[in-house]
Amino acid sequence: MDLDKLRETAAEVAARDDVKYLIGWEKGSYGYRVAPAFAEDADGTADMIFSPLCTANLATYLTLVEKLPLPRGQEPDNRKVALMVKGCDSRAVAQLLVEKGIHRDEVVVIGCPCPGMVDPALLSEKYPETEEIAELKWSDDGFIIVRNGEETAVPREELLAEKCRLCRYPNPVVSDIMLDEPVESWEPAEDEEVTEIEGKEVEGRWDYWQQEFSNCIRCYSCRNVCPLCYCQDCILDRINPSWVFRSVNFSENTAFNIARAFHLAGRCIECGECERVCPANIPLGKINRKLAREVRDKYGFEPGLDPESEPFQASYKPDDPEDFIL
Amino acid sequence: MSAMLLNKEKWPDFVEKLAGKTIWAPQGEEAEMRFAPVTEGEAPALEYGNTRVPPKQAVFPQTETMFRFQLGGEELEIPKLEEEAVLLGVRPCDARSMAIVDNLFSWDENDPYYFKHRELLTLVGLTCTEPGLNCFCTSVGGGPASKEGLDLLMTDLGDQYLLEAITEKGEALLKAAGEVLEDAGDEQIKEKERLTEEAAANIKRNVNPDGIPEGLPGLWEDPLWQRVSASCLGCGTCTYLCPTCHCFDIQDEVEGFSARRCRTWDSCMFNEYTMHTSGHNPRPSRRERTRNRINHKYSYYVDKFDVIACVGCGRCINLCPVNIDIVDILRQVKEAL
Repeated sequence: MDLDKLRETAAEVAARDDVKYLIGWEKGSYGYRVAPAFAEDADGTADMIFSPLCTANLATYLTLVEKLPLPRGQEPDNRKVALMVKGCDSRAVAQLLVEKGIHRDEVVVIGCPCPGMVDPALLSEKYPETEEIAELKWSDDGFIIVRNGEETAVPREELLAEKCRLCRYPNPVVSDIMLDEPVESWEPAEDEEVTEIEGKEVEGRWDYWQQEFSNCIRCYSCRNVCPLCYCQDCILDRINPSWVFRSVNFSENTAFNIARAFHLAGRCIECGECERVCPANIPLGKINRKLAREVRDKYGFEPGLDPESEPFQASYKPDDPEDFIL
Repeated sequence: MSAMLLNKEKWPDFVEKLAGKTIWAPQGEEAEMRFAPVTEGEAPALEYGNTRVPPKQAVFPQTETMFRFQLGGEELEIPKLEEEAVLLGVRPCDARSMAIVDNLFSWDENDPYYFKHRELLTLVGLTCTEPGLNCFCTSVGGGPASKEGLDLLMTDLGDQYLLEAITEKGEALLKAAGEVLEDAGDEQIKEKERLTEEAAANIKRNVNPDGIPEGLPGLWEDPLWQRVSASCLGCGTCTYLCPTCHCFDIQDEVEGFSARRCRTWDSCMFNEYTMHTSGHNPRPSRRERTRNRINHKYSYYVDKFDVIACVGCGRCINLCPVNIDIVDILRQVKEAL
């Protein structure tokens, strides 16, 4: 992607009178890190980038923003929020629109057609991170790591993130401005990880998740990073009554993880952020993708594609299958 | 205090001498993750960077049962803590964090749970010879072979470990393991010093905290807080993985008629952390919460206990999902002073 064009467009949008701020990506403070960046004016966009390291789904900031009580006499700032989105991120925006979590006139969506992100954990494992800020670029058949002026070419398959292997929508489905020509979609890989777990006996599955959920430290980074986990009053924060106890053990951790997963059934757009941010390396993507598979197979429904559609849980068709209802 | 040598071949024998105590160490596939009680027959691994979850859980468990009771009953059943434990291979930064947090838990009253765990615990440290990417212990008063908080310090000298007793507990441990140990000489001590200096020189990240504790209160309304917290997700990763973060919540958990009062880790990064019953929240947004995290470590704690409540382990930097970097924040604080 042409970064000059990206920055030029971002500067124009950030300078607009009807735009409060623009959210994009910037190089981080060291190594491979990329940080979300907030620009209130054109100057703030000068260092913005789009690279294979821009995994963060910025759509989460649309609903994460705190609406504080205003001093008497002060009017709320109702200007638009502009944000850059990849294909998967745009599906989160579309799903938020479907659920009326946001309204179309509140956002300016800048689409970044996405050739696929690297898996940051895999990248650090194979090409250890150093304190020098490194860059990644796309090449025709993979990625190029640029560090201290030296370029290392890496085949696509070696570092491509799992969610990107499975991706069916690399081009933004909602956008006001597109930064580039659409990328050519690739044949999504078979989701073997989910198939493998489906193939296990119930006990085997239980053991597997018992092990994984026992590692959960309940930091709730998976919930907070999720663009579609935006309840004002989350079941997990409730104290009286306490639906899920604060104590950290397999039982409560499982209650939390199941609640999180089920609340995303038919809503998760598979951006993979929950799994990326989990400090305990719990493969949350597998749970979400299993539920997405169920919804896709049973109802032929995929969330976050058409902002005009109805939410999956709130729609009904006379020919909905019922064969699995006891 | 004495210094001894342990031939690596005798490592399992040394571990055997600790019999009767629960040994906490990183082990197995999860070694990167956390310290956990060693299962019998499994040799604790020492070849790891540092665990993701700090070993503070050995003295300040994420969930601590304070007592159990029956609804309508009058008896309180207080769990007996009597099992001796050894934290094997703890990093000097993490041991130092316990020495720092001791101040808080003994501030007005001695916290009985915390200090009972402390009393029962022996900390066997391991000198850091390969600092991690975001380590900055030398900036905040620590070092790769800092002895603060430790009972015994081990240093990997290649074929053998140098064992230096620091406290009576450590001395007792050396005595108990006497038959598998040999006396150490000046040569080994010098080698350890060389390794320590080398490791310290390999620490890439640094910040000079001079002026920060005194300067932070004056930056209360500085725009830097908005800037550094803009991307914060409000999750508990930085605080839960911080070895010195010690905030907790106390809740009663009732199931049927059986109940327990427990204390669990809490995080100042959570919205409900300071939420009042009225609905008012004195730290209503991530800006105030981020400001609190930095102020607590680098100003309030210094004011109260004369020590920075950060040991420079780098965990919060390594694992923040959105690259909020405390070294970077401290640099911005210094610029704003």
